[in-house]
Formats: sequence, structure tokens, C-alpha cells
Amino acid sequence: MRQTKFLILCLLPLLLFSCKKKEEKKEQPDFDRKAMLTNIGNNIILPAYSDFSQKSGDLHAKVQDFNKNPGTASLTAVQLAFKNAFLSWEPVAVFGFGPAEQEALRVSLDVYPTDTAQINKNIADGSTNLDGAQNIDAKGFPAVDYLLFGVASDNAGILAKFTTDAQATNRKAYLEAIAAQISTKASAVSNAWASYLNTFVNASGTDVGSSVGILVNQLNYSFEMIKNNKIGIPLGKQTLGNPLPEKTEAYYSGISAQLAVKHEESILNIFLGGSGLGFDDYLTHLKANYNGGSLADAIHTQLSLVKEKLVAIPDPLSVAIVNNMAVVNTAYTELQKTVVLLKSDLSSALGVLITYQDNDGD
Amino acid sequence: MNVREVLTKPVHIAPLVTFRIIFGAVMFASVCRFVLKGWVYDLYIKPTFYFTYYGFDWVKPLGNGMYVLFALMGLAAFCIMIGFLYRYASITFFLAFSYVELIDKTNYLNHYYFISIISFLLIFLPAANYFSVDTLLKPEKTTSKIPLGILGILMAQIGLVYFFAGLAKLNYDWLFRAMPLRIWLPADYDFPLIGTFFDQVWVAYFFSWISAFYDLAIPFLLLNKKTVKPAYGILLIFHAMTYALFNIGMFPFIMMGLTLLFFPESFHIGILSKLQHLFHFRTTPKKIYPDSLYAPRKFLLVLVGIHFFIQILLPLRYILYPGNLFWTEQGYRFSWRVMLMEKGGTNFFHVQDPATGNICEVVPGRYLSPFQAKMMSTQPDMILQFAHYIDKEYRLKGIKDPIVTVESYVTLNGSGSRPFIDPKVDLSKQKESFLPKLWLLPFQE
Repeated sequence: MRQTKFLILCLLPLLLFSCKKKEEKKEQPDFDRKAMLTNIGNNIILPAYSDFSQKSGDLHAKVQDFNKNPGTASLTAVQLAFKNAFLSWEPVAVFGFGPAEQEALRVSLDVYPTDTAQINKNIADGSTNLDGAQNIDAKGFPAVDYLLFGVASDNAGILAKFTTDAQATNRKAYLEAIAAQISTKASAVSNAWASYLNTFVNASGTDVGSSVGILVNQLNYSFEMIKNNKIGIPLGKQTLGNPLPEKTEAYYSGISAQLAVKHEESILNIFLGGSGLGFDDYLTHLKANYNGGSLADAIHTQLSLVKEKLVAIPDPLSVAIVNNMAVVNTAYTELQKTVVLLKSDLSSALGVLITYQDNDGD
Repeated sequence: MNVREVLTKPVHIAPLVTFRIIFGAVMFASVCRFVLKGWVYDLYIKPTFYFTYYGFDWVKPLGNGMYVLFALMGLAAFCIMIGFLYRYASITFFLAFSYVELIDKTNYLNHYYFISIISFLLIFLPAANYFSVDTLLKPEKTTSKIPLGILGILMAQIGLVYFFAGLAKLNYDWLFRAMPLRIWLPADYDFPLIGTFFDQVWVAYFFSWISAFYDLAIPFLLLNKKTVKPAYGILLIFHAMTYALFNIGMFPFIMMGLTLLFFPESFHIGILSKLQHLFHFRTTPKKIYPDSLYAPRKFLLVLVGIHFFIQILLPLRYILYPGNLFWTEQGYRFSWRVMLMEKGGTNFFHVQDPATGNICEVVPGRYLSPFQAKMMSTQPDMILQFAHYIDKEYRLKGIKDPIVTVESYVTLNGSGSRPFIDPKVDLSKQKESFLPKLWLLPFQE
């Protein structure tokens, strides 16, 4: 009998090995990951999505106005609405998990450089179907960027493309389809977060798939996107120093540097938890050190410095990478230093399992 | 009694047989788990580049054939468990398992290495000479007694793993800075009952010291008849905790199952008779083969001698290398250094065209899986392998003699990021070997 008991004792865990660790509720002395996640969820993620959803809705509305009454005023209005919507996208772009992942938000809204040939082919065909692999870089903000700023060299020319041009009707329809998709996806993800927030906050463990692990992973991924995709690739860092201006995020409207700043600010804001509990407090609680000082301070200082260097880049970035190369290079160097802090030091200090996601590529 | 008498003392074969059954069962479960988790695809089919071991470049993944290999491995594990075509099954399992492990050092785990060793040793042991399908088919092959030395081989191997794991913990960071437990434990503050204490530094020290003591003492406590049961109780608690706290997969269960070997033979005979009853297994006709003793061949003695000679030297080879072992990792693998350090790294690879002087940054994520990139970021030999791969890629792109450099930063046990590799050294010109890697920068305390 004893033997059987022992055998059961040793085999029992085998049967249970697939069961997940239970979340135990208990009072916390100093720091509580759940409180941090609640703060980030309620005070950063939800407002960011609601802003994004509202501005995407406004873009869609302004596109409809423009299509109904194409004129200089309505064109300027829709162009402004586009810039605001694109800028409001950057803060939520960091949260590429949960509802955003299900809606394939990043892949649907921000693949650049946009494929102008495919866009023009769709317009010529009178097609407004945005599905399919061939259309992956023919939709989203970069496509609107092209349609509202890049189809002609000035606003008069652009207006003509939507009024007198032979394909004006098709072009209007295509623009409308993209704007509608952006707006629909934005409100879908924004609404989904209302219920996903609970899941997000409660995954407060340290295992693979925990919210802290996912957030750190996304911060890293996002930051490397700034360094590589938003700045590095256009600057020619991956092409033996040959700049590629047309690979900037908003090539036609020329707000790429502003977008990068917005994105970086959002990462800084998440790190600080706005005015509430954030990763800085977590690191302080863990007493994480960096060269004699605190790691929280080191990262905070560095993220602020990067912001400064990005703000110094004059838009359009596509011009700055040629004419103001030194300024862009300085920003790039600081971005690289920050990657080390986020990827090695932050990840290593938290003791949380991080699974790296695959790159979307470019 | 002298050593020879102890080693040749006839004992019942039952402990070896339950060991075989448990090993086969746990391996079968592990293989199934591995396949069901989708890891065959993620780790052995999807990547385009693999970090092979030095001297084992010829080991290549088999594409979708990997599934066949895993099926074969699972089948072999099952055959080991039931003792069917045992010799072939154990050879097949050892070869298949080791082949998979040799494909990519990204996936190196001490416990995989342990499984390779155990399955290797099992090839030469008469673990299916009793209570197996083989003996059911050929009852005349049955042996009910073996010399104690046979069990001693497996006991020594298991004991060696714990003991070296304990020795490895006797370092400054582990004992006097409570690193890396000081980083890992606070993360688990929501652990049932005792989690609230994990924030406190003394707990990290307590766990560090107690686990070092545990690893060093457990082999001896298991060997002693008087202490084996309480020792096993402690072992269960220890492995259950490591399972709950850290993401270490099947290892705790493997050790929980295999250390039953140290229990007295009456325990194992009891288990086997229960199993016989359960499966209506017709017991071997004792009348015809009473207490037949298995006589090992001389060959086994030589083999075991060489094996343990290597086993004792391998973990000590690090002494031959200069610098901080945890920093350089030269002589780190195959040494039972388990959960010893917290390391994080970031690399920026650059390729320069010597003809024009133009520089290009290479993002590892473009060629490696996120997991490969992460494992590479702190391991010099992998960084070198990747640099050679980039060299080849850019030669194909038409650059003659590309200069490949890496700007590399690593943090070790909360040290803060430090430069890891000399950023001026052209890694494409550095050869992989067992010699010290002189392009590594020393660890700045």
C-alpha cells in the first residue's frame, strides 16, 4: 500500500503538469503588478484607444464630406483630420496584443512604404476590396497619406484628381473604403478593450503570456520599430548608408518625425505609468541598479533624452535624412542606447518571462 | 566488505525495471507534449538558420521529416516502457533524441543532456530482462538478479548531476549576493502562502544557501537506507517548488520519477507486483529460472569507467579558460549549471564593405527566431556563428571580404549593461574553436 501511495505521489504531478498556476489573491505590502496594470489599462490604454477611435471616426466623416463637396476647404479639413488621426494611432500602436492582434490592427493600418502602383491599379479597376496579400501595403494610413498628399504636387492638383480626373469617382470610393476600414477597426478594438481590460489586469503573473511580460515585449518591439523602421531604414542604416526617403512612415504628408515623437512619448508614458504606478515604480521597488544609480532613473533620463533628439529632427524626415543627417544620426545613436536599456536591463531586472514575437518585417 | 564485493553483490532487478518503466513513460509523455505544443515546427522546421555544435555541423534538421523523427522517438520511448525490442528501442531513442538536441544549441538544456546520458547508459543495462514484453516472448531471457554495481551506475549518474549542480552554486554571486534568486523570487510575490516574503532579501539568501546545501547533500541522503525516505520527501518539495516558480518544463518530474531508484528493492518489487496484477501479467515461471543472475561483460566495466572519467572532467574544464565563467560561458554547457545566472543582452551587428567603407546594420530578427536571437544575445559562440552567417550572406550579395563587427552589451546578475565584445574585431576572421575567445571584453565589476 505504501508503495502505491508513493507511486501515486510521484505520478500525480505528471497528470497535473498541464494545469496552470492559480492566481492567488492577497494583500501586497509595497508593490502590486495588478495595480500597475490597472493604472496603465484605465489611465493610458483606454483613453488612448478612445482618442484614436474618435479621431479615426472624424477622419472618416471628413472624407465623406470631402467626397460629397470636393473643394479647397474640405480638402484642407480632411488633410488635417488625417494628420490628427495618424498621430493618435501612434500611442495605441504600442499595444499590439489582445484585441489589436485579433483585428490585425498594425498590419491593416500602418504598413509602409505604401504600394502606390497597387493603389492606382485598384482605383483603375474600380475595386474597393482591401483584402488579400496584394493589398497589405495598399491600405491604412500610408495609403491615405498618398491619396490626400501624394497624387499631385500641390493641393490644386490633388483636388483635380478627385474632381476632374477620369478616375475621380473610383479614387473617392477607394479613399472612402480605406477611411471606413480604419474607423471600423479603431472602434472595434476600442470597444473590445472595455471587456479585455479585465483579462489584461488579471494576467498579473510572471509566466509566459502574463501582461507584464507582453507589455515589456511590446515596449521593446515598438522601440525597435522606431529605431529600425521609422528612422534607421530611411536613414540608410541597413542599406550601406544609402538613404531611402520614400521609406519614411508618412512620406507624402511629411509628418514622419512627429509620428516618431508621438510613438516615443507613448512609450515613455507607459514606462512612467502616466502619473500613477508604472515600470519606474516597479524597478524602484525591486531596487534595480544601473551603474551606481537606479535603473528606473537611467531609463527615464534616456527616454527623455531620446524624445529631445527626436523633437530636434525637422519634418519632413525624408528631407532631414539628407540635409540634416547629423541631427538624425544623433537621434539614432540615442535610440540604440535606449534599446540596450529596455532589451537587456529592463527585461532582465523584472524576472518576468518574455516571449519575443516575430517581426512584421517591412 | 571491499568495493568489489559491494559492487558484485546480487540484488533484485526490480529497481532497474521500474526505472526503465518510469523513464520510458516520462519520455513518452515529454515527446507528446513537445509535439502538441507545436515546438517541432517552431524550433526545428521554421527557423532558417541553426546554431550547430562545434564539430557537429553535419547535423541538420529534416524539414517535415522532423515529425517522423519525433514519432520514432515517441515510439521508442513507449517500447522502452513496455520493454519491447528493448535494445533496439533504447538505441533508437538515444540516437533520435541526441540528434534533435544537436541541431540547435539555442535549445540546450541541462536536462536534455541528462536524458541523452541516461538513455545512452540504458542501452547497456539489462533493464528489460524482467517484467517486459521481451521476457514474455522469450522467458528464458529472464534474469531476476543483477550485481548492485548496475544500479550503482545510474545512481552515480544521478548523484553526480545533483552534486555538480551544488558545486556550481558555490560561487560569490550565489552565496553572498543571493543572485539571481534575488531578481527572480520577488517576481513571484503572488506565490501561494509564502509569496509575500519573496520581496525580502533574507529569503533569497535562505533559498540560495538551502538549495546549494540540498544539491550537495541529496545524493548521500538518498544512498543511505535510513534517510532515503525523508530525503525523497524533501526532493519532492524542492522540485515541486522549482516547477511552480520557474519555467523549467518536465525536468522536476523526470527527477521525481527517476530518483525512486534509490528506494529499497522491496518497494520496487511491490510496485511491479501491483503492475503485474493490474495488467494480468503472467509472472515468469520461477521454477524454471530460479534467481538467475545477470553477469555483465567486461566491456561494460570499461565503458562505464571511461564515461565517468569524462563526466567528472567535463564540468571542470572551465578552469582552463581565463575570465569570469558566467560572463564568457567558456566551459559552461554540459556542466550541470542550472538556473545559475540572470543574463540579458543586446547586439547590433554591422557589416562593412571594405571597398567603399560603407556600413550596414544587420537586424538579427530578420534571420533568427525571437528565441534564437534572445539566446544568442548573451552567448559568445553563438554570436560568432551568426557573424559567420552574415559574412556568408553578404558575400552572396556581392560584397568582397565583408567586415563583420558587433556592438554587444550584456547585463549579468543585475550588473547593468556592460560592453561584451570588442566592437572593432572583425568576427568574420575569427575561427570557432575550443581556444579562449580573445575578442571578448573582460567583465567590468
